[in-house]
Amino acid sequence: MKMWVYVIRRVLLLIPVIIGVMTITFSLVYFLPVQDKLISLYGPSKVGYNPMVPCNQLGIPQSGNCVNPTYVRGYHALGLDQPVFVQWAKYIWNSLTLNWGSTDSGSFASHQLGFSGTLPITTALAYLLPYTLELAAISLFIILVLAIPIGNYSAVYRNRPIDQAARVLSFSGFALPGFLLATILLLGVSSAMGAGIHCNGTADSFDYWYGSWPSNTCFPPSNRYPSFIGTYLQTSPTGFPTVDAAIAGNWALAADSIRRMLLPAFVIAFGSIAAILRFVRNSMLEVMNLDFVRTARSKGVPERTVVSRHAGRNSLNVTVTVLGLTFAAFIGGFPIIEDVFHLRGVGLMLAYSIQRPFDYGLIFGVTLLFTIIVVIANIVVDILYAYLDPRVRLG
Amino acid sequence: MAASSAPTYKALTEKRRPSPRIAQMRRTWYFLSRNVLALIGIGILVFFAGVTLYGVFFDHSSSTELQDYCGTYLGGGLENTFPTPGCTTVCTYGEGMAPPAPNCYVVDYHEPTPIAPTLNVAHLAGGPLPLGSFTLDLSGSHSYSIYQGFVKGAQWTLLVATVIVVAGAGIGLLLGSVAGYKGGLVDEVIMRVTDIFLSIPALLLVLVILAVAAGSIPGLWGRISILIGGFTVTWWPIYTRIVRGQVLVTREQKYVEASRAAGAKTMRILGRHIIPNSMYPVFVQMSLDVGAIPLLIAAIIFLGFQIFPTPNFPDWGVMAAQAVNQIPSALVYCQVDSSCIFPWWQLVIPGLILFCFAISVNFVSDGLRDALDPRLRR
Repeated sequence: MKMWVYVIRRVLLLIPVIIGVMTITFSLVYFLPVQDKLISLYGPSKVGYNPMVPCNQLGIPQSGNCVNPTYVRGYHALGLDQPVFVQWAKYIWNSLTLNWGSTDSGSFASHQLGFSGTLPITTALAYLLPYTLELAAISLFIILVLAIPIGNYSAVYRNRPIDQAARVLSFSGFALPGFLLATILLLGVSSAMGAGIHCNGTADSFDYWYGSWPSNTCFPPSNRYPSFIGTYLQTSPTGFPTVDAAIAGNWALAADSIRRMLLPAFVIAFGSIAAILRFVRNSMLEVMNLDFVRTARSKGVPERTVVSRHAGRNSLNVTVTVLGLTFAAFIGGFPIIEDVFHLRGVGLMLAYSIQRPFDYGLIFGVTLLFTIIVVIANIVVDILYAYLDPRVRLG
Repeated sequence: MAASSAPTYKALTEKRRPSPRIAQMRRTWYFLSRNVLALIGIGILVFFAGVTLYGVFFDHSSSTELQDYCGTYLGGGLENTFPTPGCTTVCTYGEGMAPPAPNCYVVDYHEPTPIAPTLNVAHLAGGPLPLGSFTLDLSGSHSYSIYQGFVKGAQWTLLVATVIVVAGAGIGLLLGSVAGYKGGLVDEVIMRVTDIFLSIPALLLVLVILAVAAGSIPGLWGRISILIGGFTVTWWPIYTRIVRGQVLVTREQKYVEASRAAGAKTMRILGRHIIPNSMYPVFVQMSLDVGAIPLLIAAIIFLGFQIFPTPNFPDWGVMAAQAVNQIPSALVYCQVDSSCIFPWWQLVIPGLILFCFAISVNFVSDGLRDALDPRLRR
């Protein structure tokens, strides 16, 4: 099979999976109270979406409650009186055309992010996604740089100290909660850098590692963020912090933004490294006994080249495969780590939207977005795998 | 390697001929007991089981709310097992002075300075361990007992994790074995749905379900069942995939063919032959997940989603998450008062509890995998 045929076939297979994911979110949305559905699709209105409201609020000179016309209009506009199948089809169509509803100006997330009124969810997510993507890219880079060499050498030096250390690392990656590791690392690194964790009006070492740029003025994170979306619109042409800073010619800021992402990227990478290490080590143990490795050695190839070029070439395949399998867990770590470090990405948005009062539109939006990222990443992994290992395409 | 006290493999298998499954279990135990890490893991788990039993039968503090040491009680009608009522007046005393009452520790109600764990033996003699003064909620001047959180939290953590894993494995076993054995369209449909569920990150799926279901069933057990339900919906697909893969191998075995030739019905073949012989990878995955679920619950609570009925519910995850959430206010306080003691212990101890549980479970499941897979036996 030609490579491009394979790629097209994989991309076409994406459609039923995405529709399936949307069906799951639809079935959850279906159980939401009508008012929450109205809010997440239209934003809160002045009268609100109570079915019955006091008549004088509607300008009717009458005591008691009257039927709320906004509720009735919204109810019909949403098609809640139609059969489930029609509602489902509408939901899928809206989701596919990026009509994901709007944020709720009464929710905690709206308040915390500092924008008044409502905002289309796709707009909000579009401003936040680049930050998360850059964090993910740095994190993937750390995984590739650390997992493959450590895995290779722990197989070569089997049962020696480096192997034991790698095993401990691998086990603790499964057993340490990410938020705890992140907090301990943040506190440890910032106090090891000197200057303590005190903040006396000037930036200190804690501020170097905490939060995303533009730099926090001083610590208390209980202060809510100044106009989250607003500053983004003004200062970021692309949304990728490092790229933006480079475009503006501010290299110090670009370095600053990368440094801020190093610790969180490492914590996110840690869990994946733990999983990948084992597989790389096991595959390496198998490969080291194969004939071509013996041939390379007998040719007089230096041992280091045998490990890195001949036997180790297989490790990249294994890493890509395991990354594909664990990508959902990898993405699931972002809300937590972005919350610990206060990074202005999609994950922090999710962390805010699950505080009461909930912002259901945002919760579903972020879930859908992250799932689509996972599905696309799985396809990229499949294609990469086919590229790295030609046997896959033939099958 | 030849331990004289332990019965050898040969002796175990040749003494008499037990049923094959018993023999298999003995064989598994034989290889498991040769694995040092697995034994360490089992030891830690036995310790946790002991703590759970102690918490259920002998510790009479509230099992739905953490003891509030010096603040006001958040709920009414709690039994105060610590004789320190009016903590502000009775139990405040200066450094270096003798405690005015026997069960008293240096806990100052007004100052939000966390109290470091004391190593003073005189304090230890007084009553419950000073572990009680470990967690301090700086914002509300509530200091919760880490000791109680550990003892009482064990039962909730273990109960929730076990029920979720058993329910998930049950659903996965049913769907996976049907998909693997029937094949064809049934297999295709079940596995595509499984793939879709697996592509949603677990944390997000749980959060969405819990957010939608929040408040739909009131009360303690309502909340707990929503929690368990949400996690079960997230956790069955992985088991379905594992079981299906295993059944695909098992159904080609000769004994299944023989059973089919003898005229056994599908359910009998599945129940008597295929499922029992596909169970071992499921056990390994179950033991892994029992360790992973408390970590995920801790992460969800850390994100600020209250899944338990009370904010100070005795659960390991709650302790760890609260400790981390209190770090900012501790830092702010330390900016004001440079003599403050940074409350490192309230991070480290709940973290260590979660870590020890998860890593011991990992050790055991790793050992189980080695013991059950003949190729990995050494």
